[in-house]
Order: sequence, then C-alpha cells, then structure tokens
Amino acid sequence: MFKYIFKRLLIFIPTLFAISLLTFVISLNAPGDPVDTMLNKNAGGEGQASQKLATEKAYNDIRHQLGFDLPVFYFSFTNASCTDTLHRVPKKNHRDVLQRLAFQYGNWSDVANYYMQTKSFENTIYALPKTETNATALIKVRDYVSSLYDTYDNARIKTIFSNLDFVFNENPEIRTNIGFYIATKEAYNTMFVNSSPYTRYVPTVHWYGFENQYHRWISHFLVGDFGISYQDKRPVSSVIWDAVRWTLLLSLMSMILAYILAIPLGVLSAVRKGKRSERVITTFLFMLYSLPNFWIATMLIVFFCGGDYYDVFPAFGLGNLPDDAPFFDRFWETSFHLVLPLFCLTYASLAFISRQMRGAMLNVIGQDYIRTARAKGLDEKDVVWKHALRNSLLPIITLFASIFPLAISGSFAIEQIFSIPGMGKISLEALISRNYPIVFTVMMFTAILTLVGNLVADILYAAIDPRISFSSKK
Amino acid sequence: MAEVTEIEKKQQLAASDQSFWANVKKQFKKNRVAVFALKFIVLLVAIAIFADFFANDKPLIAKYKGNTYFPLLRSYSVDLGLAEWQSDLQNVEWKNLEYDWVVFPLIPYVPKNIDSDNAQSVSPFGEQSIKSTRWRHWLGTDELGHDVLSGMIHGTRIALFVGLVSMSIASLIGILLGSIAGYFGDDRLRISRGRLILNVIFFMAALFYGFGSRSYILSDAIAISFGKFFFEFLISLLIIIVLMFAANFLARITKLVPFLAVKIKIPIDIVISRLIEIMVSIPTLFLIISVVAIAKPSIFIVMIIIGLTGWTGIARFIRAELLKVRNLEFIEAANALGYSESRIVFKHAIPNALSPVLIAIAFGIASAILTEATLSFLGIGVPAESLTWGSLLSASRQNTGAWWLAVFPGLAIFVTVTVYNLVGEGLTDALDPRQKK
Repeated sequence: MFKYIFKRLLIFIPTLFAISLLTFVISLNAPGDPVDTMLNKNAGGEGQASQKLATEKAYNDIRHQLGFDLPVFYFSFTNASCTDTLHRVPKKNHRDVLQRLAFQYGNWSDVANYYMQTKSFENTIYALPKTETNATALIKVRDYVSSLYDTYDNARIKTIFSNLDFVFNENPEIRTNIGFYIATKEAYNTMFVNSSPYTRYVPTVHWYGFENQYHRWISHFLVGDFGISYQDKRPVSSVIWDAVRWTLLLSLMSMILAYILAIPLGVLSAVRKGKRSERVITTFLFMLYSLPNFWIATMLIVFFCGGDYYDVFPAFGLGNLPDDAPFFDRFWETSFHLVLPLFCLTYASLAFISRQMRGAMLNVIGQDYIRTARAKGLDEKDVVWKHALRNSLLPIITLFASIFPLAISGSFAIEQIFSIPGMGKISLEALISRNYPIVFTVMMFTAILTLVGNLVADILYAAIDPRISFSSKK
Repeated sequence: MAEVTEIEKKQQLAASDQSFWANVKKQFKKNRVAVFALKFIVLLVAIAIFADFFANDKPLIAKYKGNTYFPLLRSYSVDLGLAEWQSDLQNVEWKNLEYDWVVFPLIPYVPKNIDSDNAQSVSPFGEQSIKSTRWRHWLGTDELGHDVLSGMIHGTRIALFVGLVSMSIASLIGILLGSIAGYFGDDRLRISRGRLILNVIFFMAALFYGFGSRSYILSDAIAISFGKFFFEFLISLLIIIVLMFAANFLARITKLVPFLAVKIKIPIDIVISRLIEIMVSIPTLFLIISVVAIAKPSIFIVMIIIGLTGWTGIARFIRAELLKVRNLEFIEAANALGYSESRIVFKHAIPNALSPVLIAIAFGIASAILTEATLSFLGIGVPAESLTWGSLLSASRQNTGAWWLAVFPGLAIFVTVTVYNLVGEGLTDALDPRQKK
C-alpha cells in the first residue's frame, strides 16, 4: 500500500514538471511585455533625454526585480546565429528584432554592433536640445530612430535611412553629431554585406546554469512565493485567496446539493429499470447532462433578471452592501445573488453524479448477494436502500475526490456570466491580460489538486472496498 | 488439405467478423433514440454541407432583363477565380433587383447581411418592416440587423467542422500512441542499440531542421494565411520524415558493430501511460484558453488545440483493447507466419480494437463542439467576424431583452451535443458484450 502511494507520488514530479514547462513556454510566447504592464507606461514622458533615462532605469529595475534579465532556461538548443547573450537586451521588441536580424544575416557580432550604433545614435539625438527651429525635424528623427528598433525588413530599413537622409539634408542645424548616424548606416551595411545565413543550419547548445528565469520561477513557487500580479501588483497568493473563497463556497454548496438530489434519483432510475418512470428520469438526466450550462445561465439572466420579463433575481455580482451592514442583511443579499449561479453549477454535477450512481446501482443489483437477500424474503425496500445502496455508494463517494479539484478551479463561463469574483473569473482575466504569475499558480494548483484527488480517490476506494488491493500486481 | 483448412478458417473468420458488426448494428438499431440521433446527425451534416443553398442572399435561379442566371452557382466559380459576374450582376443588391421571375433560397439572407430596416433586434413574433413574408426573419435579428436563422444555419458548418477536425487529430494521436503502448506493452518492443541511438539523434536533428531552422518561415506563413502555413508545415513534416527514414536506413549499417547490434527492451507502455496520465491531470480547458488567448484568433487553432488535448480517452481505450488482443491466437498466428510488426499492428490488431474507439470519438465530438461553443461564447480564440453558435449566444448578453438571441443558438448547441452523446450512448450499449443474445 505505502509502496503504491510512494510510486504514485513519484509520478507527480514529472507531471508537475511537464505542466510547469508548458505554462512557462506559453508565457514566453505571449505577446506584450509584462514589464510595460507593471510600469503602467505613463505614455508621452519620453520627451527629454533625462526623462528617457529615468524611464529606462525604471524599466530596467522592474525587469531585474522580476528576473527577466536572466537567461530563459538552463540551456538552449538553437541555431548558431542565435547568441547566448541576447537576454541582456532589455526591451522585448528589441530582442525579437535582433534575433530575427541575427537569423537573417547569421552574424551576431555585426548585429550587436548595429544595435549599439543605433543606441548611441539615438542617445545623441535625445541629447540635442530642442529649440524653436529644430523641433519638428528633431521629433521626426526620433520617430525614425525608434522605428529602426521595430523592423528587420531590409526594404523598410532602407526607407527609414533614406527618410533620415532627407531630414538631415533639410535641417543642417541638427547635423552636429551626424557621425553617429553614418556609423549606424555603416554598421547596417557591414551586417548586410557580411551575411552568412548558413549559420542557421548549424545547431548549437548553450549552457546557462541555474541562474535562469525558469529556475527562479519554479524555486520560488516551491517555497510558496508565487510572485506578484502584474496588473494590480498585489501578491498572487492574496489575489487567489480572495477568489478561492467564493469558488469554494459555491462549489461546496453545489456539490452537497447535487449529492443530496443525485443519490435518490440514481437509485430510483436503477431500481425501476425498464419501466416508464425510469425512462423519463434517465432521459431527463441525459438532457441535463448535455445542457451547456452557459446557455442555461444566459437564459436565466434573460428571463429572470430584469430584461423584458420577470425581475426576480439580480443578474450580476454579489450585492454591494457596505461591510458594516448587519450580518443578516449581507447574508441575504449574497445568498440571493448566488441562487442562479448555484443552480447552474448544481444541475450539471447533478446529472453527472446521478448517472454514475445509476451505473453503480445497476452493477450492484445484478450481484448474487442481492439475489440472496431477495431470496431470503427481505423487504424490497430494505434490499434496495440498505444492502444495495451501501455498496453502490462507494464509487460515488470516491468520485468526490476526483471532481472536487475541477470544481475548485471554478467554472469559467458561470463565474464570468454572473460576475462572481472567483477562481474561474480571475484566471480567465489573468489569461486574457497575460498575467502569468496568476495563470502559472492556478494551473499548477489545479494540477496538484487533480493528482492528489485521483490518488485520494484510489486510496479511498481500496480502503472502503476490501476486494481491491494495491499490494499485488495492479 | 492444408489449403482447404486455411480457406475454411478465413471464411469462418469473415463470418464471425460479419456477425460481430451485424450484432452491433442489430443492438444499435434496437435503441430507437440512438437511431433517431444518428439520423439527426445526417441531417445536420446535410445542413452544414448545403448551408449556402438553404440560406443565401443570392437567388438560386433568376430571370433578369430577359436573361436567365444562376447567381448562387456562379458565386462559387467567381470565388474560385474561374469566372466573373455577368455585367448586369456586378455589385448588385440582390434583394432590390427587378426580376422577371426569381427563386431565392429558403432563407434569403447570409449571416453577414445587415438588414438596416430591421436592426435593433427585431423579435421573430414582432412586427418586421419587410416587403413580404418571403423576407421575414423567422428567428428575429440581432442588434445590427443580422438574420439569426441564417447565422445558425451557417454556424452548423463551423460546429460540425470543429468536431470533425479536432477528433480526427485526436484519433490519429490516440490510436497511434494507444496501439503502440497496448501492442508492445513493456516487453515486446526490442530494438538494437544502434537503431535507438540513431533514432534519438536524428529525431533531435529532424526537429531542428524541420522547425528550429524554419521557425521564422512558419511564423511568417501563419501571418499570411492558414493555407500558406499548412503548406510550410507540410514541408517541415517532410523534412522530419526524410530524416527519420535516413536514421532507420543507416541503422542497418550499425548492425555490423556487435555492441550496437545488441537488442534492448524498451518499456514503451510505461512511457506512454505516464504521458497519458500527465495529459489527464492538466486542466484542459485552462490550457486551451491559455494557448488560444496568445495566438492570433483563428478557428483552426482552436480545432488543433482541442485535438491535441483530446486524445487521451481514445488512447486509453485502444491500449486496453490491444493489451487484450495481443495475446489472442490470431496475433500469435500472424507472428508465426513471419508478418512484420507494423503489418500485424495496423492490419490485424488495430481493426479488431477499433470498435470501442467509436464510442470515445462520438463523445469526443460532443465535447469538442461544446468546448468551441464555450470559447466563442467567452469571445476567446474565435475571430470576431466569424459567426458561430457560441458568438450568437453571447450577443444576447449585451441585449437581455432579446430572448431569441439566447434561446435559438443555445438550443442548436444543446441539440447537437445531445445527439452526439446519444449516439455515443447507443454505441456503448450496442458494443457491450453483456447485451449480446
């Protein structure tokens, strides 16, 4: 038994590793720059050189704080055109363009040189004092320079250069440091001329060691530090704690309700197999099982929440009574808001559980000991509700362990439709706004709960049913 | 003499095979609900295929200015670039032409038609400002004046297509991995060291040359169109296949070295079972949403990702079945006859294990359709301009007065999911050996 549990626990490790890697890879490929989200990008503040330096410093500080200045993973397996120092370039869009340039021209030192030249050219342009006469030209040049960072397309870069040539020719007063511009152009040409695209076909492996983003992330996660939410800068653990309370409340209540209703329904439909009433119940349960709950939720809102029809229930949220309102008022307000979501969550699990119950009951009723019980003249009621029910409850109870983790991760659609600030809603919002610390944590916890839930279900099963044993060959 | 018995055996085998499927068919037919559901699916498929002919703003046939036209058929060849519109019909408002006589499709609207006279969600039972009943919006309109019924008819296409494509992907992966795990188990896959080493090395190289070196080509292609991406993806696959063939060709040479020729056992069942276990514990909807949320909205990406995450059920079924089948006599016989492994697996073992997979596929299609509907209801992953049942349904959230926007699209999702589930249920019963009489 313990050997079995130990073996199962060992399997957790590769599973969690795979899931963490999967989430990590997804987060890497997400568009957008989390550091910018954190900075809140007070746009337009880049007018002067000093301001620009300040923003860059703030950017780099947050980047360092979040660990984005580290290499991505323990090692990389790429083509020879990629470099092992790319992660040092701060801006994500710059990195993307540089990587692409390196891929196109195959020579990282030339690409790096071009980037450095562009940077110093940009710095001299920002260092130039703005005057009445040069303002328009200067702004144009700044725009052109920053668009250089965003493109890898030869034709477009050439156009930008010719535009710059034009501006510099028209406005001699900003030509004081034109040397930097010429150097940039030369660096680009060198890169273009020296191109060696074959390097993209040469595989290379870089080893970075433990100072990397993934290692930092996972090691913090394992000691319970889940990071901070990019959006509102709160710790992820407190965001999740606030949300999980609502989801826990909802899913526990719906689960209890579902069990209370499902067990008699399942038993009845099994006992009356073949009769008309059974067919009605079974068909009804089957319909429930296939009813999309987001549809039912929408319909309930349309017909019962204001709209043009009945106005019985509130459609959204949890009520907005202040915290110092009397407890019972708040309790009623909240319960009233929870009726519809609870209904939607309950009927779905009700359908599932009662179908399982029916299956389990049918299985038991076919057994010999039930026939024996009947043969010795026991009351049919006793046979069904005492002998058969007890044995058929086993799989239903263990079922709880495996469906509970899913319930904890919340129902995306239901919580979204009724605006309940639970796990489903916050994870959906986190996914859409690419708030990966939250996504990562929720995903890992759901996976851990699923694994533990399945293990508990199996152990429970063995503990309740002596016929099952793990010590022999599985 | 020996020949005779062999022929007899074959006949017996064929007879028993026939009787197996005949029995399944008989059992399935007993279940009237399941048969009805199957017929309903056929109807849905027909609606999906001929959606253009059921709901379209172009006439099927029209006599206009003395000439007879077939605008709907013509539109196909125009879309394919094979023909151009006749001069009379260029950029016309089909609805407003003065025809000599005309036959419109049953629903004279396409989903993207905006009927500005009937905008602001007109009720199906309310008064509609239309020329005649012929132009009635039978299921009402939405905020902008799109015809709901037309949207639902064309939405059938996407829903069924999602089920078909994603379950094809899932079945392919599931059958492949499940049958490898089930047939070879932990003890039957024995390959020489040289072949193993070459396969590992070449597989890495294949990934590198197929995807690593072509990553920008692929990402550029996906930005252009799905077709272009698919083409480039096929080239990548070709590179991988060629390299893997090369690896196994070279493996013959390594047999000359005694150390490399030693055969070792590979516990492939453990590896694949662990993989299935990992896939099962990943919260699938969560994973789908997270992938779809970062990719460019596309219905194809939704299908592919549903397929890539939905194969575990099929793999489990076929693995369990093949673990049973592989010890049966006819496999041993095939082995004794010296048939190759792949021939035994693909020609003898899998066809015998396929029946339970049908159940998994039927339920899988239902859940794929439901997943897609949920995604488009939440507005994730499906492009804003493409009209699906889920996106129609979500329109009712902005406009809670319009009950028809909530009832009908949801009903379509519900009915479709139900009929697939019913067929799955019917198959489960029909394939259950306890039901045999």
